[in-house]
Amino acid sequence: MEQEKSKKSIPFIKIIIGVALLGFAVVVVSGNKMWYSEDRPIEILSDMDNQFKAKPQVGSTFFADRAASRPVIEITVPRDGISYPLEKPDFERADSVIGQNPLQASDFVLARGQNRFEALCAPCHNADGKGNGKVVEKGFQNPPSLLDEHAVGLSDAHIFHIISAGQNIMPGYADKLNMNDRWTVVHYIRSMQAKR
Amino acid sequence: MFTKEFDTRVKTTVKVIVPVVGVIVLLVFFGFRNTVTDVGYRPQQPVPFSHKLHAGQLGVKCVYCHTSVETSAHSPVPSTSTCMNCHSLVKSESPKLKLVRESAEKGTPIEWVRIHKLPDYAHFNHSRHIRAQIDCASCHGKIEEMGVVAQNKPLSMGWCIDCHRNPSEFIIPARPISGIFTGVKAGKYDSTAKAVLSPVKALTEPQFGMWESEVPKSEVPGIPVPKHPGIGPENCSSCHH
Ligand code: HEC
Ligand code: HEC
Ligand code: HEC
Ligand code: HEC
Ligand code: HEC
Ligand code: HEC
Repeated sequence: MEQEKSKKSIPFIKIIIGVALLGFAVVVVSGNKMWYSEDRPIEILSDMDNQFKAKPQVGSTFFADRAASRPVIEITVPRDGISYPLEKPDFERADSVIGQNPLQASDFVLARGQNRFEALCAPCHNADGKGNGKVVEKGFQNPPSLLDEHAVGLSDAHIFHIISAGQNIMPGYADKLNMNDRWTVVHYIRSMQAKR
Repeated sequence: MFTKEFDTRVKTTVKVIVPVVGVIVLLVFFGFRNTVTDVGYRPQQPVPFSHKLHAGQLGVKCVYCHTSVETSAHSPVPSTSTCMNCHSLVKSESPKLKLVRESAEKGTPIEWVRIHKLPDYAHFNHSRHIRAQIDCASCHGKIEEMGVVAQNKPLSMGWCIDCHRNPSEFIIPARPISGIFTGVKAGKYDSTAKAVLSPVKALTEPQFGMWESEVPKSEVPGIPVPKHPGIGPENCSSCHH
C-alpha cells in the first residue's frame, strides 16, 4: 500500500518541478522584455514606495479638484518667472515695452538659439526657417518664411513678442522658453537671415 | 517511535514540500526582480498618443513636449495646451482626440497613466543627467519607436549604480531627436565663447537659470564632467535623502 503511494507521488513531484523550472527559466532568462503587460508591476513588499505627499503630476486626495500642483494665487508672481506682460494683438507696444536684445550674439548664444529653434520651431518653420515643416505637411497652416523681407523687417522686440505670445494661429512659447532662450532664438533667426 | 505508516507519510510530505518550497523561493528571488516585474509595463493610455508618430515620423524633439527636463528633477508629461499647439488645426475633428479637446475647453487634466516610477524614497533628478548630455534612450530605450510607451529598463538601484560606476559603458550620448543642448558644437562654433550679458532693463533681466555657465563638455565622449561637484554618484545620500 505505502509503496504504491510513494510511487504515485514521484511523477507528480517531477511534473511540479519540471513545470516550475521551465517557467523559472523563461522568466529569468527573458526578463520581461519578451512580453508586455498592462497590469501594474507586482509589489511584494511595498516598503515606503508610495508615501503620502504631494508629488509633481500626481493626483492628490487632499484637494477638492484632485490636483497636487496648485494654480498660481492671484496677485502673486512665481519666483522664477516674470510673466509676459503683453497679449497677442499688442505687438505694436512690443518695441517700447520690451526694448532691445540684451544678449550679444556669441557662438554660445547662437548654439543655444539653434538648439531651441530646432526643437520648438522646426516642426512648423522647418530647420532652415523657410516653412513647410513636417507638421505643415500634415495639415497645419504654412507659416511665412522667416528669411523673407517681411520677417527681416520685424524688429527684435517684435519677434520676441511673437515667440512669447504667438501670432494669429501660431501659439506662444512663453511656457517653454525662458526670457534668455527667446533672445537666443531671435539671434539665431537673425543669423539665418544674414546668411540667406 | 513512529509507526511505519506515519514515517513514510512524513518522508513523502518532505519529498514534496522541500522541492516545491525551494522552487518557490528561487522563483521569488530571481523572478520578482525589477527586470522581470517592471520592465515591459505598458499600460493603456486614455488618449492613443503615439511617440512613434510624433517623435519618430514627425521628428518632434523630446524637449518640445517634455520641456522642463533640463531644468527640473521631473520631466513632466506635457500639458494639454502643448497638444493644442498643433491640434488646434491638425486632426482637429479626430475622435481619438476628443479627450484632449474636452480637457482644453474645461481645463481638466488628462489622466495619463504613470509608467516609470521609482519608489518615493529614492530621488532621481533629470536635469542633472540631461545637462551631462545623457540621451533619454540610455534610460528609456528608443521611445521614438514605441507606439505605446513601455518601460525598457529596470530602474533598480543596481542599474543606477552600474552606470554611475562605469558611465562610458552605459551612456548613449545625446542624439538629435532628443533635442538636448550639447553646447557649442566642435568645428561649427568657437568652443571658448560664452554668453555675454549686457546691462538691461528690469523686465528683460536675464533668466539664465540652468545654463548660466557653459554646459558641461565631455572631455572623453560620453563621460561628462560634473557641473557641481556633488556628494558623489555612489553616496547613499545622493539618492536617498
Ligand atoms: C505650430 C506651428 C508653429 C510653431 C511650432 C512655431 N510657429 Fe511661428 N508661425 C506659425 C504660423 C502658422 C505663422 C503665421 C501666423 C500668421 O498667420 O500670422 C507663424 C509666424 C511666425 C513669425 C512671423 C513671420 C512673419 O513674417 O510674419 C515668426 C517671427 C515666427 N513665427 C517665429 C517662430 C519661432 C521663433 C518659433 C519657435 C519658438 C515658432 N515660430 C514656432 C507656426 C508656428
Ligand atoms: C508631442 C509630444 C511628445 C513628444 C514629442 C514626446 N513625448 Fe514623451 N510623452 C508625451 C505624452 C503625452 C506622454 C504620456 C502618455 C504616454 O505615456 O504615452 C509621454 C510619455 C513619455 C514617457 C513615459 C512617462 C511615464 O509615465 O513614465 C517617456 C519616458 C517619454 N514620454 C519620453 C519621451 C522621449 C524620450 C521623447 C523623444 C524621443 C518623447 N517622449 C517625445 C508627449 C510627448
Ligand atoms: C508638433 C505638432 C504636434 C503636437 C505638439 C502634438 N501632435 Fe498629435 N499629431 C500631429 C500630427 C501632424 C498628427 C497627424 C499625423 C497624420 O496625419 O498622420 C497627429 C496625430 C495625433 C493623433 C492621431 C489622430 C488620428 O485621428 O489619427 C493623436 C491621438 C495625437 N496626435 C495626440 C496628441 C497628443 C495627446 C498631443 C499632446 C501631448 C499631441 N498629439 C501633440 C502633430 C502634433
Ligand atoms: C539617467 C537616466 C534617465 C535619463 C537620461 C532620462 N530619464 Fe526620464 N526617467 C528616469 C527615471 C529613473 C524616471 C522615474 C522618475 C521617478 O519616478 O521619480 C524617469 C521618468 C520620466 C518621465 C515620467 C515623469 C517623471 O518625471 O516622473 C518622463 C516623461 C521622462 N522620464 C522623460 C525623459 C526624457 C524626455 C528624457 C530625455 C530628454 C529622459 N527622460 C532622460 C531616468 C532617466
Ligand atoms: C546611463 C547612465 C546613468 C544612469 C542609468 C543613472 N545615472 Fe545618475 N548620473 C550619471 C552621470 C554620468 C552622473 C554625473 C552627472 C554630471 O556629470 O553632472 C550622474 C549623477 C547623478 C546624481 C548626482 C550625484 C552627485 O554627485 O551629487 C544623482 C543623485 C543620480 N545620478 C541619481 C541617479 C539615480 C537615482 C539613478 C537610477 C534611477 C541614476 N542616477 C541612473 C549617469 C547615470
Ligand atoms: C544612484 C542612486 C542610489 C544610490 C547612490 C543608492 N541607492 Fe539605494 N536605491 C536606489 C533606487 C533607485 C532604489 C529603488 C530600487 C527599486 O525600485 O527596487 C533603491 C533602493 C534601496 C533600498 C530598498 C531596497 C528594497 O528593495 O527594499 C535600500 C535598503 C537602499 N536602496 C539602500 C542604499 C544604501 C545603503 C546605499 C549606499 C551604499 C544606497 N542605497 C545608495 C538608488 C540609489
